[in-house]
Amino acid sequence: MSAGAKKRIMREYGECINDTPPGMKINFDEQNMTEWEILLDGPEQSVYSGGHFKLKISFPTEYPFKPPVVSFKTKIYHPNVSNDDKGSMCLGMLRPEEWKPPNKVVSVLRLVHSLLIEPNPDDAIEPSIANEFKENRKEFDKTAKDWVKRYAK
Amino acid sequence: MASPSPIPYDRRSSRASSTAGQPASDLLVVGGPPNSPSPLELFLRASNLPSSKTRISKIPPDLHMLEYVSSCDTNLICLICHSPFDKPVKLACDHYFCRDCLDHAFEVQPDGHKTCPTCRGRVDTDTGVLPVPKILEKMLDELVVKCPNTKSGCTWVDSRVNVNDHVMLYCEYTLVECPSHECRLPIFQKEFHKGCLHYTLSCEHCHTSLMKKDLEVGYITQRHQKTHCSNRFTACPHCDAEVLRLDLKVHVNDSCPKMVIPCPGTILGCHFTAERTEVIKHENACPMATMAPHFRDQQARIERNEARFEPLARKVGILEDGLSNITNMLYPANPNDSSFPVTNPLDPNHSDAFPPAPLIPTPDFRLPPASFPPVPPTNDQSQTPFNNPSQPPFDSQVHHLLTLHDSLRDEVSRIANALTDLEGRTNMMIINENQRVKDEMLHTNAAINSMRMQLHWLMSATLHQRTSNSTGTSTARAGGSTSSNSNGNGRAQGASGASTSLGARAEASGTLHAPMRRLSDSTRQDTKL
Repeated sequence: MSAGAKKRIMREYGECINDTPPGMKINFDEQNMTEWEILLDGPEQSVYSGGHFKLKISFPTEYPFKPPVVSFKTKIYHPNVSNDDKGSMCLGMLRPEEWKPPNKVVSVLRLVHSLLIEPNPDDAIEPSIANEFKENRKEFDKTAKDWVKRYAK
Repeated sequence: MASPSPIPYDRRSSRASSTAGQPASDLLVVGGPPNSPSPLELFLRASNLPSSKTRISKIPPDLHMLEYVSSCDTNLICLICHSPFDKPVKLACDHYFCRDCLDHAFEVQPDGHKTCPTCRGRVDTDTGVLPVPKILEKMLDELVVKCPNTKSGCTWVDSRVNVNDHVMLYCEYTLVECPSHECRLPIFQKEFHKGCLHYTLSCEHCHTSLMKKDLEVGYITQRHQKTHCSNRFTACPHCDAEVLRLDLKVHVNDSCPKMVIPCPGTILGCHFTAERTEVIKHENACPMATMAPHFRDQQARIERNEARFEPLARKVGILEDGLSNITNMLYPANPNDSSFPVTNPLDPNHSDAFPPAPLIPTPDFRLPPASFPPVPPTNDQSQTPFNNPSQPPFDSQVHHLLTLHDSLRDEVSRIANALTDLEGRTNMMIINENQRVKDEMLHTNAAINSMRMQLHWLMSATLHQRTSNSTGTSTARAGGSTSSNSNGNGRAQGASGASTSLGARAEASGTLHAPMRRLSDSTRQDTKL
């Protein structure tokens, strides 16, 4: 990773500190600045309220020309988060073909935050969960809350 | 930006090269050092030594890495590197980037399909990258930056346009290669003329092995003798006393008379804070300072006791749990029945539930908790009739447990006996039943045999009749008709009827089949028996 990219990550960290979306805390390790750990409280108005989620953002060596990789370390029942041990999230601006170098990590964090409040079933990574979200919202809410209790306490 | 050219001043302004380049060539004529290396080497050394400013290995500053004194207008910031533009360029779509950032962005895109990182508009790399307006360059040049060697001790701060000249020419803290031929380690430009300083020495005060450059020169923060050597005297920052650096901390904490400390009575609420000498005077008068040590002792003792109390509390909890378990086991059905002193005698609530003079008009004969464990016999006898008559009075819970245990054991053995009884009876029943079934089977077998024989007879009779019908119709018509008659209703008739008709038919048809039939019949009988 070039010095310029590192500098940019440092700057973005400074920006995130000043302008973190609500309920987020960033653990930043200067030794390994390409991996950010983010502690996220489920937004109050969502089914994930009360849960504490751990996210990882890793920056590829080609950053900012390639998008950062966002993954949930805590299991979450969400149509846009893959239901495996990776917990990866890939939509919108995080897609490689959609990513633009001027995009900022702050906007990535905001995207995550807004997706927790309102999942996007039309761009889902887990079709079964998306179906349930669209057709049986009650059941979805119940399972999501159940998972929060089970994994995100 | 770095140039491989051996000429050191290629990146500098013409003014700089004209002033510094001239003396270098003069010295080349004068002659090199005694161990005369190659001519190129000579030229370089000569050019460096007298001016003592630069050497080819200097790295020009990277504008992306600079530290800006004040935050910069966001419009001057490159969206890719998030720093103020460095050599900005403009794309046809009016988006601005640093030249290097744009090159990096194009690197990862496929050839012939370069797009603007912001709007993804197509960019022609030959004609689409345009120069930026002069005013933008001016604004960028005027940004105030710190010298990149600030960490090494340089205090230079100026506009960005000058930073290259400063680092390449004037900054004393720019790292250059050591003047020695063998040594490739870097050294500050200002130490360059001292020759190679990269050899180890031991500090005369603390005998630590150090490099010469660190002993005397080095980074400001690393200067050993001035700031690190623990065996050198240094001035206390508070009282001007000379103390060894080793002892400085102890001095400041414990004895420095000028150190500002609070009164020792702080824990009792004294707010007096002053230099140590003042505090000592104050201490004699301050009652709180006098009390402080005792108070501290007490506090420590309380803490110790609290620490000890915790495991005890836990133990009591465990014991209480165990006791309630036992109680529940003994009296699972009527937990509220306190006729027997099974409840926790230590439970203060419970003992309060037995006032000495109960308000209820009827006499309360429940045992007072004090009578536990041994129940006085007088009380016992007077109370048992009124109490639960089904519950015999026990001396103690242990006694009760034992009797309970005995009765349970009796019960178990009774049940075991009953079980063996039942088993024997069932066995007998099964055997009897079996016998009966076997007999029945025998009967059925015999019946089946007789029926089979009968069937065979009938079958052979029919066969005979058919053959006799076909062979000798004319000879034995009367016999045939009778046999067919008998055959028509032969199934309804008994075996005797069949045999008679067969006998008649055998006489009529001839003797050909008779022995055969008998033979087969006899063999079958043999096999059956």
